[in-house]
Amino acid sequence: MTACVDVDRLQRELEVIVGPRRVSVRPVDLDTYARDMWPRMLLAYREGIQPAPRPYAIVWPEHVREVISIVKLAREQRIPIVPYGGGSGVCGGAVPVRGGITIDTKRMQALRSVNSDELVCDVEAGLSGERFERELARRGYTFGHFPSSIYCSTVGGWLATRAAGQLSTKYGKVEDRVAGLSIVTGRGDLIETDGPNRALRGPNWNQLLLGSEGTLGLITSARLRVSPAPQLRVFRGFEVDDVAAGVEAIRRVMQKGLRPAVVRLYDEMDTLLNSFGHHEEEAAKEVRGPTPPISTGALPAWPDPEPPKQDGVVERLLNFARGKGSRQTAMNAALGRSSLVNKVFGTVAEKIARRGCRLIIGLEGARIRTEVEAALTFHELETLGARDKGEDPGWAWLKNRYHVSYRMSPMFRDGAFVDTMEVAASWERLMDLYHSVRSAIGRHAVVMAHFSHAYPDGCSIYFTFAGTAPDHASAERLYDAIWRDGMEATTRVGATISHHHGVGLLKAPYMAGEHREAMAIFEAAKASLDPDGIFNPGKMGLKESAR
Amino acid sequence: MTATTATTATPPTLARELVTAVGSEHVEELDAGNWRVSPGSTAEVAEVIRRAGGHKAAIHPVGAGGRPQRGIGDRARVFISTRRLDQVLQLDETSLLIHAEAGLTGLELERILSPRNLSIGDYPPVVLTSSLGGLISVRTPGKSSARHGFFEDGVVGVSAVLADGRTIHTRVAPRRATGPDLARVLCGSEGTIGFITSAVLRIHVKPEVRLLAAYILPSIDAAVSAVLLSLREEAAPSGLRIYDAQEAAKHFDGLSLPPAHALLCAGTAGPTDLAACDRDLITSAVNAEGGKLGDVALAELWWRRIHAGEPSPGASPSLQVMATPSKLGPVYHAVTEHVASRGGNARAHISRFDADGAVVFFTIEGGEELITSAEVAAAGAGGWLLGKRAVKLDLYLEALRAAIDPHRIMNPGTLA
Repeated sequence: MTACVDVDRLQRELEVIVGPRRVSVRPVDLDTYARDMWPRMLLAYREGIQPAPRPYAIVWPEHVREVISIVKLAREQRIPIVPYGGGSGVCGGAVPVRGGITIDTKRMQALRSVNSDELVCDVEAGLSGERFERELARRGYTFGHFPSSIYCSTVGGWLATRAAGQLSTKYGKVEDRVAGLSIVTGRGDLIETDGPNRALRGPNWNQLLLGSEGTLGLITSARLRVSPAPQLRVFRGFEVDDVAAGVEAIRRVMQKGLRPAVVRLYDEMDTLLNSFGHHEEEAAKEVRGPTPPISTGALPAWPDPEPPKQDGVVERLLNFARGKGSRQTAMNAALGRSSLVNKVFGTVAEKIARRGCRLIIGLEGARIRTEVEAALTFHELETLGARDKGEDPGWAWLKNRYHVSYRMSPMFRDGAFVDTMEVAASWERLMDLYHSVRSAIGRHAVVMAHFSHAYPDGCSIYFTFAGTAPDHASAERLYDAIWRDGMEATTRVGATISHHHGVGLLKAPYMAGEHREAMAIFEAAKASLDPDGIFNPGKMGLKESAR
Repeated sequence: MTATTATTATPPTLARELVTAVGSEHVEELDAGNWRVSPGSTAEVAEVIRRAGGHKAAIHPVGAGGRPQRGIGDRARVFISTRRLDQVLQLDETSLLIHAEAGLTGLELERILSPRNLSIGDYPPVVLTSSLGGLISVRTPGKSSARHGFFEDGVVGVSAVLADGRTIHTRVAPRRATGPDLARVLCGSEGTIGFITSAVLRIHVKPEVRLLAAYILPSIDAAVSAVLLSLREEAAPSGLRIYDAQEAAKHFDGLSLPPAHALLCAGTAGPTDLAACDRDLITSAVNAEGGKLGDVALAELWWRRIHAGEPSPGASPSLQVMATPSKLGPVYHAVTEHVASRGGNARAHISRFDADGAVVFFTIEGGEELITSAEVAAAGAGGWLLGKRAVKLDLYLEALRAAIDPHRIMNPGTLA
């Protein structure tokens, strides 16, 4: 891959393809597109360190033919291409580690059609999640994919990372909803994978391309399955004795053939932090009602620009840590002795509070079946010893569910860092996974977890951790140690290192442990679809030298 | 890239090596340069492939019911039978997962699971006569159910041997975001990317109840609409079949439906309340489409024929067409009208519904040529015929195979 690129020439050549208004080499744009929301980069950003390397140029194509021309140009000159959607990734997947052309897909954003007979829509990759869901809702449908990043992520980004939304337990992860993909490969061809899976011979191309994070090509559009907008929504809160009892209850519900839209079990620490504020009940009153208007789909209004204080898990963690002294000193002191905090908190949560663990469960869908499933689900939970806490905790969760992602800034501003680790395993290994990762992270940082995204055969665990260090270099060392120990603990118990955030740069070093010899198939796919290695080089643990 | 074929000098050496790998009692010379070997473990499969690869001999998987095809040209061929790969490696009743070797048939798995009140899903036994390796590496549209989806969707992980003898085990997790789903890439690839030696499958607890019902509807289109309407109301039936009037008469002795009417048989299953709810959803969809309840004995006979081995009348269908929901009616009418216009006769039933659509099974009387032209009519109406390949992706499959199997030993000639 060439290191010396004549940027002026490249800019002129790109302008020939897309016109002068959709190419930028301005420093402010290059800085912006040099990073995504990977917390490790936010640590540097906080210190005023500009990320490097930066892309050579950013280009905003509007048509597939422009994408093809850009790829052909890049291929001729052996220049890397980095696909870029909303930039909301948390693993560094969109970071141009070898420079190159960053292709922003956001000007390819048409919802081309919604076929109500087939329940399939045709959508371009750059459409933002929020607009996609609102457009579908207007027509009486939902894609059922509600990640907390929905306001700042794109359909293409979801597909490229195998994303999951908060209601995935009913609607599936994004890879479960794909009828066909259009992708421009590293050879500069447009390929399409449409057709009923069971009528086609050959490898499952959708399952090969989904999750490739821009290393095999750029997804330009997709045919995705939609569902009729829900007619009924039922949400409730329950309390279980401990994590193990909650996990068992969820497993039983899922294996009975019931499909709640959302299941969230908070561990003792997370439950305790959640209970510090009593705002949920107040918040719930605003949104309660048997059927929220379908016209808004499952999306609430925009998140408050200035979220009220004490309104999120992270904020509450922050407040806990603040103590009585100056807030920064107290928090740093608390987070700096994370293993002690974990222990004390664990003791408080388990021994003193005896509040049990909070379980949020919600169902939505066609009226009659949802009613029946809800009755069966709640009955099953009560049979298993879960205590019904009524509708309020459920509606409160629904109301506040997009807020958490917008609450990380105060932590970073105050010198700490916070990140999340989403891993998954079969039910048999799930408690092993929980204990192993919790203790691995707990050595370095304050950690809590919730269980969400349940399946008949297993579940994902979402760990949130917060740490602090005296300076930037030691913060990075601490951050890396947390991930190293967390990932190793995950691999050791036979779980997967990522359920829905993807790999990018963050988890690339652990891909060999995840896939072992099976990486050979991914490598072969890379050689096939991107023989010159121009697409998103340096990512996902793929080799670079051979090409 | 052209594979170098094994010369006539190598076979005796290769034969000795195969015997070393699996023992003489498990190597059978079919004819000169062609052997059938039956390894008893993944390690033995790896050894066979490594040794065959050393001679650039071709590897062809043979499952239950498969038989070695005589090779073309002078290339040495090793047919690897999965016959002895017949162990359940792990049964995880907590996660409802079974790790089974590729040579076990679906029916054998069912026999193992059944006493534990478990099942691999609502798939017709006729589909499950294949060995697991064949079930997941070769696609046919019949391997689907409205309740449990396409068979392949239940594959959580595979173990396979690559062309260079390396063994891969994909990690078992309910879902992941760590690049492509490598287990699912092997599904449908017909042994060209790797030789599948075992797989981890999702299994299901047997339903509390099964309910059956039969309905008479004024037309095929009304029956299709009723089914789609009930699926849209989120019913998840365990089985659905629509018969046209002629097919119904053939399958149910003495049943005489008014012309152009249709018979719908439906089965629902699960917790009692859910199964009853699904049945009621189907009933109300049928009512909305102008249909009415029929004799439940018809549905019971249909179910016994599929699941209890009761003989089914009529020849096997002459044409199977997969169609998406909106194309089911058009495909049915295009074929029946085409055949009638040529003086022949076609009847059909529609079943194997899932999210992608369903399969129309036609029985056509009037000769082979008529069947061929009926295929054209079906494709013209938007149907998908069996064995289609995404031809535009051939280049990519070839390049992928070249990268992982440079000497093209893995099932050469297939998907090419």
